[in-house]
Amino acid sequence: MKKIPVTLKVNGESYDLMIAPYRTLLDVLREEIQLTGTKKGCDVGDCGACTVLLNGQPVNSCLVLAATAQDAEIMTIEGLAQKGKLHPLQEAFVKEGAVQCGFCTPGILISLKALLDKNPAPTMEEVKTAMAGNLCRCTGYSKMFKAVESVTSGLGR
Amino acid sequence: MKFELLQPRSLQEALEMKKNYGDKARVLAGGTDLLVLLKDQKLTAEAVMSLAGVRDLNFIRYEDGRGATLGALATHGGVAASPIIQQKFPDLAEACSQVGAVQIQNLGTVGGNLCNASPAADVAPPFLLMDAVLTLASTRGERRVSIHDFFQGPRRTVLQADEILKEIFVPEVPGRRGATYLKLGRRKAMEIAIVGIGVAIHLNGSDQVVSECRIAMGSVAPTPVRARRGEEILRNQEVRDELIEEVAVVAAEEASPISDVRASREYRLDMIRVLCRRAARVALARARGNKEEGL
Repeated sequence: MKKIPVTLKVNGESYDLMIAPYRTLLDVLREEIQLTGTKKGCDVGDCGACTVLLNGQPVNSCLVLAATAQDAEIMTIEGLAQKGKLHPLQEAFVKEGAVQCGFCTPGILISLKALLDKNPAPTMEEVKTAMAGNLCRCTGYSKMFKAVESVTSGLGR
Repeated sequence: MKFELLQPRSLQEALEMKKNYGDKARVLAGGTDLLVLLKDQKLTAEAVMSLAGVRDLNFIRYEDGRGATLGALATHGGVAASPIIQQKFPDLAEACSQVGAVQIQNLGTVGGNLCNASPAADVAPPFLLMDAVLTLASTRGERRVSIHDFFQGPRRTVLQADEILKEIFVPEVPGRRGATYLKLGRRKAMEIAIVGIGVAIHLNGSDQVVSECRIAMGSVAPTPVRARRGEEILRNQEVRDELIEEVAVVAAEEASPISDVRASREYRLDMIRVLCRRAARVALARARGNKEEGL
């Protein structure tokens, strides 16, 4: 199949690529741009490990064709820390020990960042809804909830 | 998963392409179903036509007294978060907020959910409750089709090879409408409905007399269906617990569920009765304007 030119804007940087039209954003991020922080779990939209922000909204990058994401602002886990400084959520995850095997962590952090951008002081129910599409098979959710709380508790709830 | 990718930039261009490709081109809206089927090789496609560039199909418009029009590419997330939809059509907002999880809701579209024609499609029951009218477009022109005539079987609709679903119109009904969509799964998120029930109750004047009752059911027949005989029982009647019970029993009789990996036929029949009862009570409370909704 003929490759097509595609320009992707990821974490503020522009990438000019030649890719097959049927490749997913997930595969292109990992294999063409070498941003391997975004994980490939189920590859069918069930596990959330591949979550990235598309124009600020969390989506499963395994269910997006890279060529259709041309005009979008894409943000991956690599874009979360700014100028070498971890995002408060990342700091909290480290501090609370909310990372076990780590495979689900990038997707979960992206989902939570999207939530906090929209709603800086969410209830625990809202946190759980935001994370419902992200599976952690270490089942380490409690510490993640604690970590989120430690970030949001100071925010006048 | 290999295919040619078509990327029209306007509806007109999309319709031209669909005319030329016909069945050879699969329409890609949110991709949450189509790409999974293509990856699993349950479907093959010579070409896939992404509607990502057809931006004017992602809208929600409301006209007071007339109703709402949703572009086929309105996302589940967008519909669920729309204040006017939450207020006027809470059953639709609830259905959209129960599709998959946030990531899926941000990609998946109401039009895609209908065209995919799964018997378990979450947005189908609310649209059935509302007597939605779909606008199907092709280079030959547009035609309007009732939601009741749209589904033909599992994954089959009346869409012709050159047609694309353009928008969905839901008329506003006179009087007070209360409605809800209840979905049963093994858990709250990332589930395909075992049973999905929508009930709408319309009140005109009295809080006690139901002027209209509508029941729509998903995952219980080859297509999403209305329970017309069950609806009759409450229509123009004064509400009593025994009547709601009878509605639920008759609605279950109208269903023809199968046993599959998600649940047995018998369990589904039982759950239709339970959800019907609950949904009727919630819909009634909403029609009466009660904040407290007795589940």
